[in-house]
Amino acid sequence: MAKEYVKYVDVTKCDGCRACMVACKNWNDLPAEPTEFLGSVQSHAKTTADTWNVLQYIEHENGKGDLDYLFRHSSCFHCSDAACEKVCPENAISYTKYGTVVIDQDKCVGCGYCVQNCPFEVISLKTYKDKNGKEYRKSHKCTMCTDRIEEGLQPACVTTCHTGAMEFGDKDAMIQKAEQRVKEIKDRYPNAMVYNPQGVGGTHTVYVLAEKPSVYGLPENPKVPTSAVLWKDYAQPIGKAMIGATTMAVVGAFVANKFFSKKAGNDAEDGGGSHE
Amino acid sequence: MSNYQKHPKANVKVRRFPKAFVWAHAINGLAFFALYITALPMYTDFFNWLYPVLGGPAMARLLHRIFAVVFIMPTFILLIFSPKFFFQWMKELITWKKRDLQFFSEFVKELFGFKFKHIKQTFFNAGEKINSVIQIFCAILVIASGFTMWFPEFFPRALVQWGYFLHNVGFGLGIAVIVGHVYLSVVHKHSRPGYSGVVNGKVPAWWAKGHYGDWYDEEVKKGNFPDLDDPKRKKGA
Repeated sequence: MAKEYVKYVDVTKCDGCRACMVACKNWNDLPAEPTEFLGSVQSHAKTTADTWNVLQYIEHENGKGDLDYLFRHSSCFHCSDAACEKVCPENAISYTKYGTVVIDQDKCVGCGYCVQNCPFEVISLKTYKDKNGKEYRKSHKCTMCTDRIEEGLQPACVTTCHTGAMEFGDKDAMIQKAEQRVKEIKDRYPNAMVYNPQGVGGTHTVYVLAEKPSVYGLPENPKVPTSAVLWKDYAQPIGKAMIGATTMAVVGAFVANKFFSKKAGNDAEDGGGSHE
Repeated sequence: MSNYQKHPKANVKVRRFPKAFVWAHAINGLAFFALYITALPMYTDFFNWLYPVLGGPAMARLLHRIFAVVFIMPTFILLIFSPKFFFQWMKELITWKKRDLQFFSEFVKELFGFKFKHIKQTFFNAGEKINSVIQIFCAILVIASGFTMWFPEFFPRALVQWGYFLHNVGFGLGIAVIVGHVYLSVVHKHSRPGYSGVVNGKVPAWWAKGHYGDWYDEEVKKGNFPDLDDPKRKKGA
C-alpha cells in the first residue's frame, strides 16, 4: 500500500491571500463563479460544485474584548470513514491508496445522497445539459488533486501557499507537526487545537485551529450520520434478505402444494374442510 | 386451468369490492411496481442496465416522482368515491379477535397444501388485515420520507438523512410482503378464485362463503347474497 498522505493546514499562518482558491480553479479547470458582496472579504459562502475550496474570513471576539480576524482554507476533509462513500448508491465514491476520497464522474448519477450526508457539507451537485438539451446532474468536490499526487506532485493549493500555512506529506509526520504547532501557539490562542476528528476515522486534511471548531462553523464531533449506518449496514441488506425470504417461501409453498395435492388427490375445490 | 372454474356454482358471483376500490387498488399496484423499477438501479448495481432502458438517471428520477404522485392518489379515490368502504376497512384493521389468531395456524397449513379448515372471517380475513396494516405503514414511511428526499431544501438536514433510511425500510418491507400478496392472488389455488375481485369487483359466491363466512352470512341476512345452501335458491346473484 502506498503511503497515506495528509494535507496539513495551519490557519494561524494563513494571511488570507486566496492563492489556494485560484490555484485550485486553475489546476482543476473550474469556471469562475461571480458572487454578490456577502458583507465581508469572503468571496463565497461555502464550497460549491465549481468552487472546491473557499477561504473563510471570520471576525471573532476572543472574549478578552479583542477582535481576531481568523482565516481558514476550507475544502473536502477526505475522511477515513467517509459518509459520502458509504451512502453512494452507485459506488461512484471511493478511497484511493493515498487516503483521498474521489468521485467517479462516469458512475455518478447525481442523486445527491452524498451532498445530504457529508458531515462537513462540502459536496455539491452541478446541473449540465447534454447535446439534446436534456439536463443531468453530477456531484463534485475537492479531489485533493489526486491526479497530481499520482504524478508525484503535491495538491495545487499546497504548492501555491506562500506563507507555509499548508504542507503536504506523510500522515504521521503531519499529525505530529500539528500537535507540535498547537503547543507553540497556546499562549496566543488558548483554545488552539488539532482538528482531526475521530468520529469520521480521522481526516486527510488536518487542521491547526486557533479557536474551537464551532467558531469556524465546523462540527465539534462530526461523524457518519447514524441514519446512514442504519440505512446502509442494516436496512438495505436486511431488506434484500427479506424479499429473498418471502420469494423462497412462496416457491416452497408452490412446490409443497404440487407435492401434497398429488398425494392427497385433492378433495374439495377450495381444499378447505367445513367450519368448526 | 384449474378445477375451481368447473365448480357447480362457479357462475354465481357476488360483489366484494366497490368500483372505486378496484380502481384504487389497480392504480396503487401499478404505481408501486413503477416506483420499484425506476429506483431499482439505485438499490442494487445488478440492475444498472435499467438506467439506459429508463432513459438515464435523470429520466428515472423524473419518472419516479411522477409515479410517486400517482401512488398517493388511491387513498383520495377511496375517500371521495367510497368513504364507506374506506372506513369499514380501517375499522376492521383495528378489530382483532380470537378467530384472527386461529386463522394464522390454519393459513400456514393452507399455504403449504396441507389439510386445513376454514375459520369464519369477517369482510377481511386476518391475513389481509396484516397485509393492509403493513402496506399502510410502509406507504406512510415511504411517502413521508419521499417528501424530504424530493425537497431537501425545505427540511432540516437530519430529517433528510433519516428520510433515506426510512424510505429504505418502507419499500424493503413493502416489496417483501407484496411477493406473498401477489403469489396468493394469482398462483395459490385456494385463494386465486378471489382474483377477479380486484378486476371487476366480483368473486365466486362459493369462494366468498368459504373464505369470509361471517361476512357472507351477514349479506345473506340482508338479502344481498344468495343462500348457497338453500335448495330453493333462485338462479343468479
